[in-house]
Amino acid sequence: MTAFILRRLGGLVFVIFGVSLLTFFLAQLVPADPVAAALGSNARDAQIEAYRLQLGLDQPVAVQYGIYMSRLVRGDLGNSIRTRRAVIDDLRDYLPATIELTMAAMIVTILLGIPLGIIAALNRNTWIDAGARILALIGGAMPIFYVGLVLLGVFYRQLQWLPGPGRLDSTVPPPAHITGLYTVDALLTGNWPVLANASAHLVLPAITLGLFSTAVLLRMTRSSMLEMLGQDYVRTAKAKGLSERLVIGRHVFKNALPPILTIIGILFGSLLSGAVLTETIFNWPGIGRYATTSVTTLDYPAVMGVALVAAVIYPLVNTLVDIGYSVIDPRVRAN
Amino acid sequence: MLRRFAKEKTAVFGLAVIVFFALVAVFAPLLTPYDPLAQDIPNGLAPPSAEHWLGTDKLGRDIFSRMLYGARISLGAGLGVVLMAGLVGTSVGIVAGYVGGWLDEALMRITDIFFAFPSLILAMAIAGALGPSLQNALIAVSVVTWPVYARLIRGQVIVLRDREFVQAARAVGVGHTQILFRHLFPNTLSPLLVQASFEMGTVILAVAGLSFIGFGAQPPIPEWGVMISEGRNYITTHWWLTFFPAMAMLFAVAGFNLVGDGLRDVLDPRLRR
Amino acid sequence: MTQKRSSTLWRWTALLVLVAMVLSACAAPAAAPSAPAAGGEEAAAPAGDEITRDNTLVFAADMTDIITLDPAVAYEFGGILPVGNMYETLASFDPGNPEIVPLLAESWDIADAGDMWTMTFKLNPAATFSSGNPVTADDVVFSWNRAMEINKSPAWLLIDVCQMTKETIVAVDAGTVELKIPKAVSPNVCLAVLTFTVAAVVEQAALEPNMGDDMGESWLNDNSVGSGPYVLNGWERSSTVTLDANPAYWGGTAPAMKRVILQNMPESANRQAAIETGDADIVQELGPEQAAALEGNPDVSLVKGLSTLLAYASVNATMPPFDNADARQALRYAINYDNIITLLGGNGELVQEIIPIGFAGHVGNNPFTQDLEKAKELFANAGVTEGAVIPFTVATGTGPGGVDWATIAASIQADLAQIGITLDIQLLQQSELLTKYRAQELPMLLMNWGPDYTDPDANGTPFANYEANSLAWRNSWNDPQAIELSKQAAVELDPATRIELYAQLVEYMQNNGPFAMLYQPSRVYALRNNVQGFIYDPGDTPNVSFALISK
Repeated sequence: MTAFILRRLGGLVFVIFGVSLLTFFLAQLVPADPVAAALGSNARDAQIEAYRLQLGLDQPVAVQYGIYMSRLVRGDLGNSIRTRRAVIDDLRDYLPATIELTMAAMIVTILLGIPLGIIAALNRNTWIDAGARILALIGGAMPIFYVGLVLLGVFYRQLQWLPGPGRLDSTVPPPAHITGLYTVDALLTGNWPVLANASAHLVLPAITLGLFSTAVLLRMTRSSMLEMLGQDYVRTAKAKGLSERLVIGRHVFKNALPPILTIIGILFGSLLSGAVLTETIFNWPGIGRYATTSVTTLDYPAVMGVALVAAVIYPLVNTLVDIGYSVIDPRVRAN
Repeated sequence: MLRRFAKEKTAVFGLAVIVFFALVAVFAPLLTPYDPLAQDIPNGLAPPSAEHWLGTDKLGRDIFSRMLYGARISLGAGLGVVLMAGLVGTSVGIVAGYVGGWLDEALMRITDIFFAFPSLILAMAIAGALGPSLQNALIAVSVVTWPVYARLIRGQVIVLRDREFVQAARAVGVGHTQILFRHLFPNTLSPLLVQASFEMGTVILAVAGLSFIGFGAQPPIPEWGVMISEGRNYITTHWWLTFFPAMAMLFAVAGFNLVGDGLRDVLDPRLRR
Repeated sequence: MTQKRSSTLWRWTALLVLVAMVLSACAAPAAAPSAPAAGGEEAAAPAGDEITRDNTLVFAADMTDIITLDPAVAYEFGGILPVGNMYETLASFDPGNPEIVPLLAESWDIADAGDMWTMTFKLNPAATFSSGNPVTADDVVFSWNRAMEINKSPAWLLIDVCQMTKETIVAVDAGTVELKIPKAVSPNVCLAVLTFTVAAVVEQAALEPNMGDDMGESWLNDNSVGSGPYVLNGWERSSTVTLDANPAYWGGTAPAMKRVILQNMPESANRQAAIETGDADIVQELGPEQAAALEGNPDVSLVKGLSTLLAYASVNATMPPFDNADARQALRYAINYDNIITLLGGNGELVQEIIPIGFAGHVGNNPFTQDLEKAKELFANAGVTEGAVIPFTVATGTGPGGVDWATIAASIQADLAQIGITLDIQLLQQSELLTKYRAQELPMLLMNWGPDYTDPDANGTPFANYEANSLAWRNSWNDPQAIELSKQAAVELDPATRIELYAQLVEYMQNNGPFAMLYQPSRVYALRNNVQGFIYDPGDTPNVSFALISK
């Protein structure tokens, strides 16, 4: 068991190293001069030169990578050219918003995807099944940036049932900073009005972001359930007179679960991708929007930081899913 | 096999949708009433009418014509990326699976690195670094998606290379190249086709997403994502600017997904969903 | 050393915390609520009135560009707005009036000191910082020296335009500041520069203990040490800047709005919805269609104000075909200005000269209308034939007036297509475009220019004077006559003669310059109906004074 975990974590370290190399390489591709861009149209040559030296851009590429790596092991992601702050400080400000949104979308995904998938499977080839499959089809094919625009237009602007873009109403001050996830912090400090406001603000973006993964999870749950329902032992159990509910609860769903868990880990990545678009539309101050602005302004230290953190989180989550999975099911370790 | 596919009603529907879009893409110049770039500024933002079936945009360009030309770009983009990424990914997968050993290990670790990134973030970083354009967006999406094929094909090849017919071929002295191209590659085609069909939908969405945030196709190209992006500020006042390109995307992507489902059911009954 | 180690440790902890948050998912009370992570929240509501929705102003705008709240560094619209409401300068433009009036200085005097001008400022003895301490001459000297030493984007205004140095600023006594500037600098221009936030006065005693190793630049992002009507409550990076009324404001009554929340809202459709729902009290910048949609809304009123920006197409005067004056003139005749104004839908005025409406020296003569025959003829004279292809570089995103740059460019592209000339539009991010522009690499482009201070020289010199390394230089247009005229006009002290000189310059530029001046965009604000006292003054810093607003 320990060996398995160590092997997975070792692989993770290698991946992080590779990721750092790849992001660094990307930054070298940028054709324009980020320094001139950062200093604006009135910067004088001396200012530009000074800033360039300060960023170490006069060094050969290999040296720059060395400097970058040596800083990285010390937990220093460098400084953003645009915001002129440590990238890690920026990420500390923006990452919680993304995590909160992603988690909310994951909750939407699980609460909708799994039950609908089970119901569809149990009612195979009925109109219920057809409805669920159409939902999955649309959810998997709809451009989420359009979905977000429409949801805002309908539920915020027209009906005014739900609050608009942003994490909180402008007039609601954020809760005391503990984790940076507003709902969690409000819960921990017992700040109910903020909890209500933050939760309401999460609804539309979470649905927008979760739509695609809901579609995937629904399909996966449905097919996994169908496969199990077709197995001999289920028929045997039913024949033995066990109630349908018990059979489904105890045998079918439990055995259908592993592939569902795996897909949830994988879906996490698609949520992080989708967050880029969702955050743009919902004015959500997360790393997706930070990344977009950073790419737009060619602020590659910041882009590298976001990419690095995203590329650490995603495999880390998957590694944990795998490890958790191997605890449940020892056969996995053999592979 | 075709007959079995024909039995999958939804897949046939998907195929019909794709064929429809493909025909539209090919014959766009004959079908469109207007040049997709022709402006008529005084007649901008006109609602759907007999003259302009789907209305006009800010510059008075005909949305119907732009949408048809958009099919060219989106389908072309999907095809281009799937071919590019498929070619690279398949080659890497075959080599890794067939040669095995440290090379396999090294190549797979490289795919791990690419898999570590949430795809759109990496694609955005690449497209931004290369400079925003449709071509660079296609390169970016290809770079992000090739490992999918590499892993898939490698898995297939590993299963196949120990099969009797490959062992037999090797035993009688058939060269590696021949084994690869005669025996292994053809047997990977079915899963490749299934994957490619799903990827078409994914790529269309990804390219449109990149275009939407400004890192893909650039105006005035009538790409669907660009059209939605250009129309986003008018969504409350002039809904037709965004609605029609969004629907076009929905149908095209759903079409490819349905065909993918059908192909998988037919070609790979083990994975039947 | 210890400090360094601990900071490394902190960074790692932070990184781990980031990751841990992912793992602990949503419901993880394990993270004990004891750690006050980010700098302690100040319960900042000033004494006196309680903060309610009624005395809070929510102002939504695209403030993506904000990077600092330090007056010595701020040079972006998003940053200048809050900074200008927290800090004050010696003199200021009266909101709504193009006249310089006293602020921290109650009077000033400009004297001829032989080879220099001497500007003497008498400080208002009543002026105090939000701490209650008086504003002294030492604070002024400290603030200007600090801005020059930090030497960030806006510092050139002091260093180059006013030609200030450490030695030329002197605190004569606690209430008197003396500034000496060379004769080549117009004292009026320098005075206009001194109304900009870079010359704002910070409280030395409050800032000095917190300067750290960056002269207090980062500390000022979370704290304010000004004398203005508002103080900083907090800045949630990338979402809101919250200002609270300065209860001890020295300049008259305390502001009616006890709290001002500047909400960053980059999508203009979101801003439209925010004003419709009442989530925001004021939104800044709407597109023409959004403005039109709000026109019938009984809860909302619109304030449309001309900005001081000028949008133009320019060409490089050393690259064919525009190395020929006829070709440049042909371009001006080829453009359909009516179409551009239609696209702007009322969010802009046709302006075909280099001095904007509202500035002394603005002529108001628009000599060009589309004349394709004439354009064709002029192009033919210049040897440009049908089928020519010219790269046309354009910024991505929305331009001033709320219309995408690419849309304006496409309309010009269609104009030239009518006479057989192809403009090959290349979209670049604005920063990248500016980099190439500064390197004189662009044959043709679409851009806008905003004057850095309210004086015609802020446009005359950059547009006309090649030696100033600005717009004329970027377009490689080295024209001795234009240079001479712009220099003369800059230092001319007689107002009437000065206006005459600018009129000459404007006309000369219209027919010879590398620019096709297009329009002066408007900025559209939408206000909830209960908002009173709102003034948008593009020539003033800040453009909007929150202290004047009530509900």
